[in-house]
Amino acid sequence: MKSEAKTREVLIAGIGSNRWGYYPERDSFELAAEAIIKALEDAEIEWKDVQAAFCGSVYQGTGSGHQAIQEVGLTGIPVVNIENACSSGASAFRLAYQAVASGLYDIVLAVGFEKMPKGPIPSTAFRPWQLKMGFNVQPANYALETREYMEQYGATEEDFALITVKNRRNGALNQNARFQKPVTLEEVMNSRMVATPLRLFHCCPLADGAAGFILCSENKVKSKSKAVTVASAVLASGVYGEEFYQCGMVGSAKFHPEEGIVEMSARQAYEIAGYGPEDMDVIQVYDSMASAELWDIERLGFCERGEAPRLLREGVFDLRGRIPANTDGGLIAKGHPLGATGCGQIYEIALQLRGHAGPRQVEGARTGLCHAMGAGPNSSVTILKK
Amino acid sequence: MSVAGKEKEHVKAGLWEEAGAEAYLVGSSCGACGEIFFPKKESGFCPHCQHKSLADARLSGEGTISTFTVVCQQPGGGFYKGPVPYAYGVVRLPEGVNVQTLFTGCEPEKIKVGLKARLVIEELFEEDGSIIDTYKFAPVL
Repeated sequence: MKSEAKTREVLIAGIGSNRWGYYPERDSFELAAEAIIKALEDAEIEWKDVQAAFCGSVYQGTGSGHQAIQEVGLTGIPVVNIENACSSGASAFRLAYQAVASGLYDIVLAVGFEKMPKGPIPSTAFRPWQLKMGFNVQPANYALETREYMEQYGATEEDFALITVKNRRNGALNQNARFQKPVTLEEVMNSRMVATPLRLFHCCPLADGAAGFILCSENKVKSKSKAVTVASAVLASGVYGEEFYQCGMVGSAKFHPEEGIVEMSARQAYEIAGYGPEDMDVIQVYDSMASAELWDIERLGFCERGEAPRLLREGVFDLRGRIPANTDGGLIAKGHPLGATGCGQIYEIALQLRGHAGPRQVEGARTGLCHAMGAGPNSSVTILKK
Repeated sequence: MSVAGKEKEHVKAGLWEEAGAEAYLVGSSCGACGEIFFPKKESGFCPHCQHKSLADARLSGEGTISTFTVVCQQPGGGFYKGPVPYAYGVVRLPEGVNVQTLFTGCEPEKIKVGLKARLVIEELFEEDGSIIDTYKFAPVL
């Protein structure tokens, strides 16, 4: 599906994030503006030179990105708001990347941000009758997938709990994570059941937060040592017949696809980047529930289906393991500001490839992959290289 | 239709039909590729093969449980007004279609993947003086 059109190299020149958490007194545009200003400072680029802005959020309402840009300065540039559920941040990043790759612009902004909504959440991922039936509980929808995974491969609740333990341990080393204290296996296994077999500590918490980037063409980069190259940014928004309980879709019994959206988006991302999973030094995967990290690692091609629990127990996905996964603590430790999450993953990979991840640093990391899902359905894969 | 002075409504019109004592789910089947959909597609257009070739299909009333969960907290938003905990999941019907459904008629701990389950029509919850009915499946223990 790769176009024959020529595209040019795109670099991340600046990154910015705040500490994700619970900020009842702050507005979403303030969180976003903070990340944007930090990214500008990090890039050493003037706001007046930014030519377009791509802003991802889910529940912040009309013109939410514009609200943030008002705090930085209205300069007549195009500002577009992107909503792709939990892939909003990655989708905003992807559009920003394409805007520079195509030669349309030299310097652009991508930002993802979210503030936990208060009160009833409008949920058009589901039909109204599905809402009345109680089908819109996302941990329950992940629980349906989790049950299938357990039945097919023999995975256990404890396997999932070990993901939480790993990610909370990593999050304790991340100043931007909402939760910076480890948890024990016992604490996870004793937490209350939310939707069988998933317990509270298997589920990522929500959070308020933002992360943003200045992307530019090679000739506009100020600091080559900090610049990280975008190798690919892919989005696959559903294939016929694949189940996606998170937006009320059952699988086709007669025409279930051989390749689902996770496999498809990964394959396309590897193809465009010219890499395989074996080339990835560090990965951020979508642990909105602890169990999902395991099957996503498998579906992204890092091991055979059903193998991830065993490899987890062998330490393969630890910080010092062969395939460090969710080095920043993942959604489980950072929290999940829906529109920001995709950007938060890219932020961590950029930090790793710069060598600036401090106690979380994966030695010699030169390539990294991020994967985010989203009701829609969406699967987005971003590969960065240094 | 009203029962003991209360109006009865379907949670969504057209999900099922009642023929005497029997009820059956109404789906769509595609004359071009054979795919079956539930709920039915209003457009008559098949999202699998992109032909405008769908016809109403009467679905069978017993299937096999392929996955389930027991929900232990009230869903957000206030749309669901039924009991908590409650169980839902997916039943595969023998003609080749998966149906997402609530489970009823047994303790949630007894539900297992692989059990058969039968269609029932019963109350979902009461809302503004009306009884909202829905389809559910009852596991055969």
